[in-house]
Amino acid sequence: MTQHRWDDDQDLLDDLSEALRDAELPSTIAECGKGAYAWRTVDQDLLLASLSLDSSLEHMAERRSAGGEGRVLVFTASPLSLELEVMPDHVAGQILPPGPGKVRVETLDGVTFYVDADDAGFFYIPRKPAGPARLRCDTPAGRLVTDWIYL
Amino acid sequence: MDDGDNSIPSLVDAAATGDEQAWHEIVDRYTPLLGSVIHCFRLTKAETQDVAQTVWLRLVEHLGRLREPRALPMWIITTSRRESLRCLSDRRRTVPYDPLDPSWPIFPTDDAEPDAELLRADRHEALLAGLAELPARQRELLLLLVADPPLSYAEITERTGIPTGSIGPTRRRALDRLRQTFAVRDYLAGPLAAPVAPGRTACLAPSRPAIRIDRERGEGHDAAPLG
Repeated sequence: MTQHRWDDDQDLLDDLSEALRDAELPSTIAECGKGAYAWRTVDQDLLLASLSLDSSLEHMAERRSAGGEGRVLVFTASPLSLELEVMPDHVAGQILPPGPGKVRVETLDGVTFYVDADDAGFFYIPRKPAGPARLRCDTPAGRLVTDWIYL
Repeated sequence: MDDGDNSIPSLVDAAATGDEQAWHEIVDRYTPLLGSVIHCFRLTKAETQDVAQTVWLRLVEHLGRLREPRALPMWIITTSRRESLRCLSDRRRTVPYDPLDPSWPIFPTDDAEPDAELLRADRHEALLAGLAELPARQRELLLLLVADPPLSYAEITERTGIPTGSIGPTRRRALDRLRQTFAVRDYLAGPLAAPVAPGRTACLAPSRPAIRIDRERGEGHDAAPLG
């Protein structure tokens, strides 16, 4: 391997020092990290549905967001997944494959509320949670919980 | 404080199965890396907090899927970049577009030439991910050695218990170990040899990012899923 700047102890230490100086290190980052563990899911039968599409990242390429359309989020697990369309004041969703279920919206401040999904899997959340939230869905086909997300 | 030999995979395994202390250790080790990535986006204090919180909450649930040592830092880098971008996107939705406003975020889709800032961010991420892999004692010493304002060897001895005469040799061993970490070795091996995190180019501030969300590579990879 060719010589690298980091072969020298002082240069390596200087670069490490620069990296640490450049990082945002409010103590709150570590504090909220430690507190996050209290939300760990211990329910083995609950499927974790990972965020697999966030249209707000796709639209970053455009100068303005597509007018009138909501932000689309897709959470994928197997065999269930969940699609959300986030509008300014409400959230519309569907459980896939389509089927009825109960949806629970969980937030960090302990505010939890339920909405029902109809036979086609559609549900409607009349208000947007202010902070990070996640959705739990109980359906005859299985139960899932989404990644935490800012809606 | 760990006993010095907790490897990242064993910490991840322990935290995934209910060991809260192991989780705290992961948070302590990776807070600088997370802070470094978020810093690229020049978010406000409140936004920084939002992004960090979301990343940690999500990581708690993803621990069980991260097995190999490289997976955790890649996951943190990718997820915190995407959450930071989401933050900027929220801003754009709430602020009316003004074509004359130079601070309006512009996101070119083409792969921009890696510029100095992007290279600098990659370098910092490699070093901070490497730092996270070090045993606690070595990590602590390096942090004290780069403290600002600088500490004397006598003060470092007082805080760590390392005899003043041993600080030099311990520093050398810690830096050697840092060079041997997965993160630093991958970085030094270059972009062709290192595993590429999806969204790798999706960094930096509104004035200069190249955004390329590579969904094909993102799908099915537990190491770095979208979000």
